Amino acid sequence: MPAAPPEPETAQQASQDRPAVRAVGLAKSYGSTVALVGLDLHVAAGQTVALLGPNGAGKSTTIGVLLGLLSPDAGQVQVYGRPPSQAVAGGLVGAMLQDAGLMPGVRVGELLAMVRGLYPLPLPLDDLVGIAGLGSLLGRRVDRLSGGQTQQVRFAAAIAGDPLLLVLDEPTAAMDVQARRNFWTQIHAFAGRGRTVLFATHYLHEADDAADRVVVIAGGRKVADGTPAAIKANFGDRQVRFTLRHGSPALLAALDGVRAVDQDGARVTLHSGDPDATVSSLVRSELRWSGLEVGGPDLETSFLRLLAGQS
Amino acid sequence: MTGFLALELRRSLRDVRYLIIAVAMPIGLYLLFTGLFGAHGQRAQGLPQPVELMIAMIAYGAMWAVFSATGPRIAHERTIGWTRQLRVTPLSPAAALSGKLLTALAAALPAMALVALTAVVSHHVHLSATQWLALFAAMWAGVVPLALLGLAIGYLAGDEIAFPLTMALYFALGALGGLWIPLSVMPHVMQGLAQSLPSNGVAELGWRIAGGQAPVPKAVLVLTVWLLGSAAAALLAYRRRGTRSAH
Repeated sequence: MPAAPPEPETAQQASQDRPAVRAVGLAKSYGSTVALVGLDLHVAAGQTVALLGPNGAGKSTTIGVLLGLLSPDAGQVQVYGRPPSQAVAGGLVGAMLQDAGLMPGVRVGELLAMVRGLYPLPLPLDDLVGIAGLGSLLGRRVDRLSGGQTQQVRFAAAIAGDPLLLVLDEPTAAMDVQARRNFWTQIHAFAGRGRTVLFATHYLHEADDAADRVVVIAGGRKVADGTPAAIKANFGDRQVRFTLRHGSPALLAALDGVRAVDQDGARVTLHSGDPDATVSSLVRSELRWSGLEVGGPDLETSFLRLLAGQS
Repeated sequence: MTGFLALELRRSLRDVRYLIIAVAMPIGLYLLFTGLFGAHGQRAQGLPQPVELMIAMIAYGAMWAVFSATGPRIAHERTIGWTRQLRVTPLSPAAALSGKLLTALAAALPAMALVALTAVVSHHVHLSATQWLALFAAMWAGVVPLALLGLAIGYLAGDEIAFPLTMALYFALGALGGLWIPLSVMPHVMQGLAQSLPSNGVAELGWRIAGGQAPVPKAVLVLTVWLLGSAAAALLAYRRRGTRSAH
């Protein structure tokens, strides 16, 4: 590797002191569909932040605006103190987008060499191969990779320029469990270099495992912002379901841990912050029930409840 | 930017469609036509058969070279999202666009040179060094409007139709532009049409230079009109599709 030219280094260091993302009052509509309504988002340099929300919450639109792919109808956004398109042009940002692909007809090594060449201070090739776990893929044709390998190369292309800010839009959507685990290990390795990572997901557990901070968006606005633990406490409700055979439905809300009650005929769904406690108190109660099920966290329901509570 | 150009060019030259249609086919057709029509006849331009056909096939190969590197490829890259990925790298959209144009033009040169080489080797075609130089320079410049037309198709047409559309245009421009059949045997109406096509314009430049004459103003005018028209189309198409995201 040739020695890095000193000038971009100082530019990058100057950028490092600024917040990675500063977005205020972002609004965006597509025709009559409202995607963002006054979204604020601040990300400090070096943080790994999850943008958590159900489908259609505005995650991809937010990311599009941060990358300069979309211009907001209202609001301001800066990435390392610059307009998004300038931050991208300056090589400060790398991204793995949902609907983005790779240049066909070339080998993986050729593609990554070209992408590295576009950035002022790319990641050394050995580091890139190491972090992205490319190993034997460099000589392979881009069009002949498996789905999982393609994701690996897309990730490698996103970090090839050693960007200060790495943006990922639902990066694990097409991955199996093992691939997901490897992927987050790689993200940690990259973030460990002092880089800022912002990723969109609709999996609470993914946000919980991988992020320092979780920003929850729904209906185009920020509805919660905090540590994964705090978000999980608010949004991690589990569902306790059963058929009520006998007893007063009025008693249901009083069971331990219950936050909300839904009834569909005799079928009851309890939203609980502590399903163990809820089931224990259900057993001790005078209620008669059958067909007990405990379901995982249901973000959609939590969001709907939260939005209903806000309006 | 240079790395991007180099890789674009490398993949263009490796592209099987390019190699078969832009390189092998004009050479094959050249050998076929010179064999069929005899190598010693004179044709409409007053040029020996092997020279006239060489120039027609140079135009033909160059035309597919610039088409194949633009229309179908750009449409495909838009569909699979490579265009979008490039937009989140420091490469500016303007650089990506001009890179495509330069690659297409560069890909035309080997296709043109190999037809000329075939003509020299198989039929001992002889031109002066100045003529060769002028011929290549003029014909190369002449395919710029076709490359821009390819860009416009790439940014407007979907992946499914970009290839058949480019292919149809290529055959139509070749046949109607007098690259397969001499203008002199065409009906009068067809001759008028042929002379207004850029494919004929490119060949006309070559035929004139090979015949030791200056290019006719009409061919230059036709190509200039096509240049302006296709540049405007490419720019509009690019503005409409190339800079916008998929949403």
